[in-house]
Amino acid sequence: MNQQRREFLKKAGFAALAGLGAATGFNPLLALEKTDTSVFPRKPVEGKVRWGMLIDTRNCTEGCTECSAACHFEHNVPDFSGTKNEVKWIWKSPYEKAFPTSGKQFMSHELEKLEVPTLCNHCAEPPCAKACPTEATFKRWDGIVSMDYHRCIGCRFCMAACPYGSRSFNWQDPRPGIETFSASYPTRERGVVEKCNFCSERLVKGMQPACVEACPGDAITFGDLNDPGSDIRTLLAREVTMQRKPELGTLPSVFYII
Amino acid sequence: MLEKALKGNRAYWTWIAMLVIVIVSGLSAWGRQLELGLGVTGMGRDISWGLYIAQFTFLVGVAASAVMVVLPYYLHNQKAFGKTVIVGEFLAVSAALMCMLFILADMGKPQRVLNVLLHPSPHSMVFWDVIVLNGYLLLNLVSGWAMLGAERKGVLPSPWIKALIYLSIPWAFSIHTVTAFLYAGMPGRHLWLTAVLAPRFLASAFAAGTAILILISFILKKSAGYDIGSEARKKLTVLAAYAGVANFFLLGTEFFTAFYSNVPAHEHSLQHLYFGLHGHAAFVPWMWGSLVVGTGSVILLLVPRLRSNTRLLVAASIGLVASIWVDKGIGLVIGGFLPTPLEEIVSYVPTVTELQVTLGIWAIGLLVLTALLKVAIAVKGV
Amino acid sequence: MRKKILMFAWTTLALLLGLGLFMQQESGAGTEALPTVSGKSESTGCVYPKEYMKAHHMQVLNEWRHDSVREGDRIHVTPDGREFDKSLNTCLDCHSRNKMFCFMCHQYANVQPTCWNCHLSPMEVTK
Repeated sequence: MNQQRREFLKKAGFAALAGLGAATGFNPLLALEKTDTSVFPRKPVEGKVRWGMLIDTRNCTEGCTECSAACHFEHNVPDFSGTKNEVKWIWKSPYEKAFPTSGKQFMSHELEKLEVPTLCNHCAEPPCAKACPTEATFKRWDGIVSMDYHRCIGCRFCMAACPYGSRSFNWQDPRPGIETFSASYPTRERGVVEKCNFCSERLVKGMQPACVEACPGDAITFGDLNDPGSDIRTLLAREVTMQRKPELGTLPSVFYII
Repeated sequence: MLEKALKGNRAYWTWIAMLVIVIVSGLSAWGRQLELGLGVTGMGRDISWGLYIAQFTFLVGVAASAVMVVLPYYLHNQKAFGKTVIVGEFLAVSAALMCMLFILADMGKPQRVLNVLLHPSPHSMVFWDVIVLNGYLLLNLVSGWAMLGAERKGVLPSPWIKALIYLSIPWAFSIHTVTAFLYAGMPGRHLWLTAVLAPRFLASAFAAGTAILILISFILKKSAGYDIGSEARKKLTVLAAYAGVANFFLLGTEFFTAFYSNVPAHEHSLQHLYFGLHGHAAFVPWMWGSLVVGTGSVILLLVPRLRSNTRLLVAASIGLVASIWVDKGIGLVIGGFLPTPLEEIVSYVPTVTELQVTLGIWAIGLLVLTALLKVAIAVKGV
Repeated sequence: MRKKILMFAWTTLALLLGLGLFMQQESGAGTEALPTVSGKSESTGCVYPKEYMKAHHMQVLNEWRHDSVREGDRIHVTPDGREFDKSLNTCLDCHSRNKMFCFMCHQYANVQPTCWNCHLSPMEVTK
């Protein structure tokens, strides 16, 4: 064999080896050896679960605020209600304020009086997470728009971005506003933004969110929107539901039956 | 060269002393804010940005306006601006510094400010704003200082300075566009959610910044005998006038889209500002005052017979700056939060602490500007 | 000689490239459902040896916080196979029996970590 041919075969061989190596990076099935995944940490799969909430306002009693009370107790939310420094995670709002873009002409008597629970919608396309300069608020693998209180710089850009007014800032030290401390969740400190977290600390223990459990009318259904067999999906397929400001493209995870 | 800022007459040191007093008061107020939290300001859950961010928004524009003199002088050889450019560049430095101080004052956790750089988030406009603002400050400081140094030594400036100056031209446009993008991408705030916001920001910036330059030129002439020249001043006046025209024209287009389309979301914020909404009309006198004073000032600046009268020129410049300050600061930033996402109108009144901090930061900016201009005048001579 | 060096270099490069790309693989095939944690740990020992914890508990807490909050990776497995929830509560489960546990050393070392501004310290939570 002449020298040139030998050179060519050598180079081709190396190239093939490199190519094979590169290919395994793109398609694991081509790997010469399978990775044993059990030694890797058990990270949840991104996007597999998508938590969602359905609120049946027909079962929502007028004047009842159990969901709010349970959530705010559970999470050590300070009570500065009635002041400009108010902090709230879930609260009742009049229907026409929660759904300002739906029709207001000749509303039924019931609708005029109706107050619905309003909270963070945990949008699939959250404008707040897009706005955050430190990714202190971010969309988790399971759809929950989460807050990392350790990273938040308190710029309040997320508050400006949220089209639903779901976020609160700690304008002062929250602790004086907390009557009884709950051991299940830390407090926050002044200078950070906070909001509903879909009770992620309870979900990890296999429990339902506090508001779901507290509602005396069982108005709130919570579950995995990506599981077609879940309760929430069954209800969504059967009932007519609406969402807050759908025209903004945020794709909320909270649905309402009016 | 900084030692040149340490030599001055009685008036100079009185001015410095006044500034220092305001700065000290601002620092003590900021200390109170650090101790008790931002609740000591008038901001709240519904209006979460107030005086500080309003000043920031206005001052980014002033910083960007330096390009109005840099571009003609360096790119188009308009020699008339020979004595003005350095004033514009140092005004940009002072304004950019004030911007950053206002952001710092507004943060809930200023000790964590480096998180923006440690955890870069390119999807966030605030991230880009931090970068471009810092970059712009450095660009103007370095190039301005280096040009002065070269002039003092009587040598030609090094070529790299020119490169930095050319870079500062598109950079100036970028800082105010990025700041506009902070607002213009928020889906829930319909006063801001308009493509015309970035052009409007630039127009108002060039109008107000140029007017400020005119005023500074008068102050420098009176206090230090440093005259940028009537030719330069005339050019600045024309620039301010046309930028003002553009600004009010764009405001007019906003009115048209909002009220002709009759879409409530587009309409309500503007209606609240100029006509009152559901009985809440606190902003109305401010906005109409701003509009009347602003358009009046622009007319004064446009008519050659009127603008050649020094008194009227000064009055028009002050009027234009005040009008845009109200329009951008109060109208845009605070008005943008109303009505709230849940259709409420709430009120915002800055507190004494907030005003102290604001004035303190303005005083820091003025102190830096004074020192830099003192050096510039000492080097360039009158 | 030069040719031999070049051949050696090409081979190494090819192998490294292959190896590097190969090792980039994520354990995409992960858990079926949300990893749940059983609750209070029954262990009698800490997650790491005492000397290691004395020097590195800050880094451990930082890593745990990042993993828990941002990655959803909540289960810490010690070298000898015990499992713990990556949470401050895991530490407090054992260490809150002594109410002054954290404060003793921090006072001596004159450090002021801000944990207790938010987290409920052993002195505050009555068990």
